[in-house]
Amino acid sequence: MVVLGEMKRKVLPLHFLQFMRLLVVYPWTQRFFDSFGNLSSASAIMGNPKVKAHGKKVLTSLGDAIKHLDDLKGTFAQLSELHCDKLHVDPENFKLLGNVLVTVLAIHFGKEFTPEVQASWQKMVTGVASALSSRYH
Amino acid sequence: MLSAQERAHIAQVWDLIAGHEAQFGAELLLRLFTVYPSTKVYFPHLSACQDATQLLSHGQRMLAAVGAAVRHMDNLRAALSPLADLHALVLRVDPANFPLLIQCFHVVLASHLQDEFTVQMQAAWDKFLTGVAVVLTEKYR
Repeated sequence: MVVLGEMKRKVLPLHFLQFMRLLVVYPWTQRFFDSFGNLSSASAIMGNPKVKAHGKKVLTSLGDAIKHLDDLKGTFAQLSELHCDKLHVDPENFKLLGNVLVTVLAIHFGKEFTPEVQASWQKMVTGVASALSSRYH
Repeated sequence: MLSAQERAHIAQVWDLIAGHEAQFGAELLLRLFTVYPSTKVYFPHLSACQDATQLLSHGQRMLAAVGAAVRHMDNLRAALSPLADLHALVLRVDPANFPLLIQCFHVVLASHLQDEFTVQMQAAWDKFLTGVAVVLTEKYR
């Protein structure tokens, strides 16, 4: 957990712009972002201001997750309802996003991103994905 | 199915791996066993002792197969047919495990190549490896 906290301080200011790799690597996820404007190419997506803003929002939310690792379900209860009732997001997408985030962290931390560190982060994103889908009905 | 650009990105990634198959393969397996412990059931001897020599040897074998897939990305079915038989008849690895291996592959590439591992390379490589996984499991039934 110390490693996660340390990483959080380093990660949040950096690379959140890269966060929306999700939309490029798994283009079908763009279905939720019709109102975001130009998503026609990798460079369009990575330079899109709405994408950047949303990436920042999501990453900030993940920062909250790190503070409340003992109660992810409680922390994400409202967001879960939102994603089900209003946004209609297939929970499978949370897994995809989690995996992309892990690769972005690996890029940033390089050799420091050991198998053990990867395991901790994969566990965390799995927990977040589970919490975000917990209120689906 | 693969555009010319995607093929170029896949070849680009492979160029960065070629010559280091054993090292990358061993790390791939180590990450797989550490992050997804349930996968160890498919490698009982390898995962129990995690002997460096054996990991390097098996890693080399796996990545050599990936290299063959890269060389024949226009005809994966023919090139990977013996491996597909092996997986269907002998190994019988549940298809759900391939995405786990693919994720670890991305992390190996990302942690070694860092900023050189562009989003286009990641997208093309993911598409390619997913295609390989489909071929390896399509004789299962």
